[in-house]
Amino acid sequence: MLEAHPGLPEFDYIKPKTLAEASRFLADHAGEARPLSGGTDIFVRMRDGVWKDKYLVDIKGLDGTDEIVYDPSKGLTIGAAVAMNRVSAHPDVKKHYAALADAVDKVASYQLRNRATIVGNICNASPAGDTIGACLLLGGALDVHGVDGARTEPLASFFEGPGSTALKPGDVVTSLRLPLPPKGLVGRYYKLGRNKSSDLSIIGVTVVGFPDKRAASGYRIKLALASVAPTPLVVAQVEEILAAKPVTEQTIAEAAQAAMDACTPIDDVRASARYRKMMARNLSQKALTEIWNQLGR
Amino acid sequence: MTTTVVHERIPEPIGESKPRLDNRKKVTGAATYADDMQFGSGLLYARILHSPHPHALIKSINISRAKALPGVKAVVTGEDFPGFIGLYLQDRHIFCRDRVRYVGDPVAGVAATSEEIAVKAVNLIEVEYEVLEPVVNPEFGASPDAPLVHPQLSEYKVVPFILPQAGTNISNLFKVRKGDVGAAWEKCAAIVERKYRIPHIQHVPIEPHVAIAQVDETGEVTLWGSSQSPFAQRNLIAQALGISQSDMRVVAPYVGGGFGSKAGVSMEALAVAIATKVRGRPVKLRLTREEEFYTAFVRQELISYFKMGCDKNGKILAMENRFYWGGGAYTEYGVNVTRAAGYSSTGPYEVPNVKTDSYCVYTNHPVGGPMRGFGMPEMHTGLEQCIDDLAHEIGIDPVEIRRRNCIREGSILVTGSKMHPTGLPQCIEETAKAIQWGQKASPSAPNKRRGKGTAIMWKAPAMPPNAGSSAWVELAEDGTVTVGLGGQDLGQGTFTVCAQMAAAALGVPYESVRIATPVDTRFSPYEWQTVASRLTWSMGNAVVSAAQDARRQILDLVSEAWGEDPEDLDIRNGVVVSYKSEQEIPLKDMVIYGLPKPNDSGWMGGPIRGRGKFMPTYVTSLDPETGQGERAVVHYTTGSQSVELEVDLDTGQVEILRGASSFDVGKAINPEMVKAQMEGGFVQGLSSALFEEMKMVDGYMQNPSFVDYRIATTTDAPSDLQSVIVEVPQDDGPWGARGIGEHSMVATAAAIANAIFDAVGIRMEGPPFSAEKIYLAMLDAGIVE
Repeated sequence: MLEAHPGLPEFDYIKPKTLAEASRFLADHAGEARPLSGGTDIFVRMRDGVWKDKYLVDIKGLDGTDEIVYDPSKGLTIGAAVAMNRVSAHPDVKKHYAALADAVDKVASYQLRNRATIVGNICNASPAGDTIGACLLLGGALDVHGVDGARTEPLASFFEGPGSTALKPGDVVTSLRLPLPPKGLVGRYYKLGRNKSSDLSIIGVTVVGFPDKRAASGYRIKLALASVAPTPLVVAQVEEILAAKPVTEQTIAEAAQAAMDACTPIDDVRASARYRKMMARNLSQKALTEIWNQLGR
Repeated sequence: MTTTVVHERIPEPIGESKPRLDNRKKVTGAATYADDMQFGSGLLYARILHSPHPHALIKSINISRAKALPGVKAVVTGEDFPGFIGLYLQDRHIFCRDRVRYVGDPVAGVAATSEEIAVKAVNLIEVEYEVLEPVVNPEFGASPDAPLVHPQLSEYKVVPFILPQAGTNISNLFKVRKGDVGAAWEKCAAIVERKYRIPHIQHVPIEPHVAIAQVDETGEVTLWGSSQSPFAQRNLIAQALGISQSDMRVVAPYVGGGFGSKAGVSMEALAVAIATKVRGRPVKLRLTREEEFYTAFVRQELISYFKMGCDKNGKILAMENRFYWGGGAYTEYGVNVTRAAGYSSTGPYEVPNVKTDSYCVYTNHPVGGPMRGFGMPEMHTGLEQCIDDLAHEIGIDPVEIRRRNCIREGSILVTGSKMHPTGLPQCIEETAKAIQWGQKASPSAPNKRRGKGTAIMWKAPAMPPNAGSSAWVELAEDGTVTVGLGGQDLGQGTFTVCAQMAAAALGVPYESVRIATPVDTRFSPYEWQTVASRLTWSMGNAVVSAAQDARRQILDLVSEAWGEDPEDLDIRNGVVVSYKSEQEIPLKDMVIYGLPKPNDSGWMGGPIRGRGKFMPTYVTSLDPETGQGERAVVHYTTGSQSVELEVDLDTGQVEILRGASSFDVGKAINPEMVKAQMEGGFVQGLSSALFEEMKMVDGYMQNPSFVDYRIATTTDAPSDLQSVIVEVPQDDGPWGARGIGEHSMVATAAAIANAIFDAVGIRMEGPPFSAEKIYLAMLDAGIVE
């Protein structure tokens, strides 16, 4: 760290004209090329010497990557190069995907969000990624263009470990798709940092909820945690508890305890595992209570 | 020398919040900083090879591969530069010679035609080390069991008031023995004993250190750098290189924040040393943020023990304090932090019986140096919590115990000196009033607890007894005034304040005064350093003296020309007027070309240039065994800070709801800038209280970037931040002014700690009072489950 390079190391900037060209180049240079959109993580890591890629393949402007579209019959499509501030300012995102809008507004700083992208946040696969929990709980899937053409990767099976995903050499994620929200959907993201702005999450809690007649309790409430496991963590027990039993202060406490029990955080320079576990419980309780209030209690 | 006290009348624009001189340039981006300066294609880039070990012997260095790399123009090591460098204690070489003492210690340097080549060359240097056991705890470091960081300590050159202890890691020991502490304890109705631990933090200026050095064919050196101390750098670097101070020129453009880190000498000497090997070519060295953390000055860490007792009325009878300062690898500057803490060790209280031992201890940590507050925040953070605990122990309100014990005019201080007039009692009332002390407001939510806390402080300029200032004042053909000075504007606004003082002393509008910048040791008058919050007072006195000298020359000339008594003349708004004859003449008509003698018999006068200087002449030495003496310091600025905050029981997070500061600045030359200092200091203090810590493990820093070294931003600062100016004049300050720059963060962390205690009843060993630390302490105390 002390010998961090004073500037960026040398690399070649590649600007392909088509997705096919991008995929081909990335596949031909596996291990030394990387897709670039906002660059807010890439440049920091290259400067720190963590990533040593020789080529950055700019995917901005390729088929649909710069578009954000809400279709009332299909849902939301966010292009891979759409900056976070554009997402959270989009009226349909605010209206239909509150958890995502809330999470986006808590990533780093406004200035950084002018460049940073949600797809970048997802592909980075950091356990601390603030927007990932919302995308997971909202049933998100990625449109991926690979050497064999286009395919879809559901987020539920996308994350394999810190920084590790289902993407293969040659893959370019072109967009994130979120299905139409269930009726009455509400959502919230709680982030605990060391100070108020621009910090990485010590822990993040995403909660979404909606009325659901098929659930015994009448509600479907889901919760995801950031920074407490090797991958973004959806705590299935929370959904089960709050679907099976009537939603009360007691069942919310039980669900929050389940969230605490499900997580496996580590000690690091930001916080201890012990504190993170307790915060998983306390903030889950807080977030679930707020969602319950929003659902009309 | 002339006295510059002008109490009888406060002339314009003293006490007016004039706009800063540098506003426009800084806001538009036109201001030029060191890294903006252009040196053409001949510029070489320097990079440094740093020690990867906290403590090791250098067995061998092989630079041959680095030297052979195309584009490399010089590779230097400690062998090339045998001289010592240091402000108070010369314990440092420019490059390490036989031993490395911290991770980041400079081992070799490279100059190359590009930064990239310099980086490559540094990586080609091979060094063989013999790793030694590091000292990472100052209390252990002071013990006889600790390995020696500087075995040659007793051979180092040192100023008379610093007392290194031969054969130990203690590079200074300041002792106070006043009254009879042993006999006092039995008279106490309450006694508290506490231990605190304050971590290393850093200044984190937004502009990292940068220096460009060039040595010409004759050996004359020019250094351009982001600097608080161009003259000290001239002196110390010249000494280390064995050249004349006159052959060493330092030019100091705008500075993007200093807070002490750009005082004295740090990386600038590396750039100069490398430049001596590539004569004729400028060499630029700029630190990365990581290097800034590892290799620039840091604030010393402190392990402090306090024992204090009072009678049943809360009157403090005795204090016994022990300070183990973690000075880091070199304490050339830091030794004086520990001295300042010694002679201020009671805090702003009158205490009849005092025993203090303040140890400056070498450790294998980054180099401890001057930082805003110069030991006072670290010391007061413990002391002012301990005072609160004593108040609770004896059952007296924390503000009341401060009222009863705080120093006042005539109080006998810890060193035996007598206190000058001070507004401290008034400051205490102001901050108590500002946060409605004594009234408990209910928390904003059921899961929050609300608390209030207060802390008071004092601080003297810590410097050699004879630190001097000088200035000149010149007038141009149009009557505008240029002030030459050698102190630096770090953003605190000293140029603006000096322009105001020159305008007032001379009798011209503020708008017609310029400051001769950048400060350049070849042309600017001498100034010791921009430190110690001493410029408004010391450099201000020199500027006023120079302006008065120019004024005298002008009035003498006009009185001769008009045949009037100078006493009947005045300069108002740039015009000389006679109150007797009602004649007047604008300055522009006489300050360059003089005035004609009567009857066409020639001319008199000539270009006006006033000269001024100031140096305190009254500071005495202190007895090395007792710390007693007639006058330890020039003066103390005093003040008080209070906060109201909430602790979140779910997370341990602290929200500062409001803060109040009140300081006795003697006279606020520019009240808005005084308030800006109070606000800025409060936020920096808040940051050190809640977030900042260099996390050190076995001598290695774990968080050398802003990702994990958190600093407060505006969102963490309270929107309700009150600053109340108190003005009890200083007898030798310009219009009574004394300093305020550093004082404003001294009491903040203690006030916050006291408010956290008020809210949830917990005390922690030391800052940062992070959410995690508070939550776990509440858990241990059974406040949360």
